[in-house]
Amino acid sequence: MPVAQLRTLDYVVMALYFVVVLGIGWALRRMMRTSTDFFLSGRSLPPWVTGLAFLSANLGAQEVIGMGASGAKYGIATSHFYWVGAVPAMLFVGLFMMPFYYGSRARSVPEYLKLRFDEKTRTLNAVTFAAMTVFSSGVSMYAMGKLLNLLLGWDFTTSVLVSAGIVLAYVLLGGLTSAIYNEVLQFFMIVFGFVPLVWIGLRAVNGWDGLTSRLTQVAMARGLPPESLTHVWKGMGSASTNAIGVEWFGLLMGLGVVLSFGYWCTDFLVVQRAMAADSMTAARRTPLIAAVPKMIFPFLVIVPGMIALVHAGDASMGGLAAAGEGMIPPKLTAAGLPLVDAKGNVVLDYDLATPMMLVKLFPTGMLGLGLTALIASFMSGMAGNVTAFNTVWTYDIYQAHIRRGASDEHYLWMGRAATVGGILLSVAAAYVAGAFNNIMDLLQLIFAFVNAPLFATFALGMFWRRSTGHGAFWGLVAGTLGAALHHGLALADGSVPGVKGGYFGVLRVYPSEMAQTFWTAIAAFATCFVVTIVVSLLTRPRPDDELRGLVYALTPKPVDDVKNWWERPSVFAAGVLVALLGLNLAFR
Amino acid sequence: MSGAATLDLRYPIGGLFVVLGALLAGYGAMTNGDAVMYGRSTGVNVNLWWGLVMLVTGVLFLWLARRGSGPPTRSAEGLATERREEDLGLEKH
Repeated sequence: MPVAQLRTLDYVVMALYFVVVLGIGWALRRMMRTSTDFFLSGRSLPPWVTGLAFLSANLGAQEVIGMGASGAKYGIATSHFYWVGAVPAMLFVGLFMMPFYYGSRARSVPEYLKLRFDEKTRTLNAVTFAAMTVFSSGVSMYAMGKLLNLLLGWDFTTSVLVSAGIVLAYVLLGGLTSAIYNEVLQFFMIVFGFVPLVWIGLRAVNGWDGLTSRLTQVAMARGLPPESLTHVWKGMGSASTNAIGVEWFGLLMGLGVVLSFGYWCTDFLVVQRAMAADSMTAARRTPLIAAVPKMIFPFLVIVPGMIALVHAGDASMGGLAAAGEGMIPPKLTAAGLPLVDAKGNVVLDYDLATPMMLVKLFPTGMLGLGLTALIASFMSGMAGNVTAFNTVWTYDIYQAHIRRGASDEHYLWMGRAATVGGILLSVAAAYVAGAFNNIMDLLQLIFAFVNAPLFATFALGMFWRRSTGHGAFWGLVAGTLGAALHHGLALADGSVPGVKGGYFGVLRVYPSEMAQTFWTAIAAFATCFVVTIVVSLLTRPRPDDELRGLVYALTPKPVDDVKNWWERPSVFAAGVLVALLGLNLAFR
Repeated sequence: MSGAATLDLRYPIGGLFVVLGALLAGYGAMTNGDAVMYGRSTGVNVNLWWGLVMLVTGVLFLWLARRGSGPPTRSAEGLATERREEDLGLEKH
């Protein structure tokens, strides 16, 4: 029995959105003549477009559903993922790293590694990245199919195939430009679908004050300090006095420096959007422009989860939430009973926090809009992965190892074929995710190990000219092994050894899984950093001549090409930083 | 010549928002005062009000697109970039 019933108007809203999505792909179909048109939008897009796409490509299910879930679990402290994590990293990549990505004329992030280091480092990065994008797009497709089935009773296979088909159509027609244009459209859909949700949600709990007073009670009931769900920094002094279960150093270093910089500064999925910009200045401004909405996004994606925890909503909507908290239902066992943890507490299905808000607060009409926004977020994530995959496959794997020196038409054709292949593989991954949950957990873990050390490699490559290809490669390998070793020797309090860690024996127990994740990343980063330096010093450096435009010391400072002084990247970034400090202080 | 500049993204966004906004606001006006339907949204006729917001936003996008004359992406630096790409054979015309 589905949770919600859609009416004709809801379907009309959805249909109109899909017509425009496909229409954009159709309108751009004649403009894809060369491979750079297809993979890099001919490097011709204005910065507000690439900036919003930079944000939206990452705005997949993980963001909208996952951040709502974290909002219900950790309260407003989830904003650390934005205010300590993403935004500083986005400022850094715009100000300091984009000159090398854009200026080197590399067509992808792995290709930058090839130019800066060597073929083996590039291939290692390209292969793991390609596998990861297909895998994560499959996992998000699986999540979407499952969610739509639960909420609306839609058939899993139909949901997956229809959404995959739409993404396939508009990427095939218009390449990266079409993906980026649709990401911008999706950005506005998501904002206009979620702002009214926060508006109505806050009304339902008597505003912000009503929300904080109720969350204070929830925090105390959980045995946490009263202000832990409604403050960002209070209680961060020690892991035992905040909901995340991590102390300030692990947070700043693990989330702030290692994980966020590793993702926002090196992941081709987002960097590709900036590479499509029409000039160096526009490329540098891309992540800076994206940082402004990113800074405010916690109010859009985290607050609904917080409201869902304390507001039961319309009780007539079926018994799914009966054993849960607020409107968040419990996880169910195979027998259909609420799942209970070792301490006898009901385990909540936090991933349903935001979807339940949509279903319980929106009437016919707005419900269609809200669900379209949700589906838009799934599809923008999928398209982001597919466009990054087809580029890395074509330039860094196919052209580098399988067929060199073919005509541009051939690579354009290969790009289209890779788009089809990438989507088929994602659909397959979605079914694997459904059938073998453990394999997916394991793969996710391996990818986390591969990703954790990346920022050390890029930082040393860009800012230390002495670092070498052998150093980078062995640093990456050692960093990944370091992550696996640390994870295998540590365990979060309350977990059992296995896929959650501790498989080599438990030397260290962390207060939460989050703390374990952050410290695993720190271990990977530190190992990669040290090994890269040591191996680099033992191997022969490349002559300075070959490193021009690739390393900080050997690259001329970029000249800003802007009309107004406040558009200068450094000035703009300083403004964002001040606003960021203000937000941290306001919600401390 | 790169093709992306020939479709101004503000037209499809504006158009979609105008249609969706009119649809929601119209439906909201028709169902205004339906206490059962809007009970869940705390008594606010969210279709009507949010529909109007979207309608205005859509009109604003269309107006910006009409007003913004000339290709906005032709900076001197961008042109130099394209010339360099052509010289390097990265892009053919």
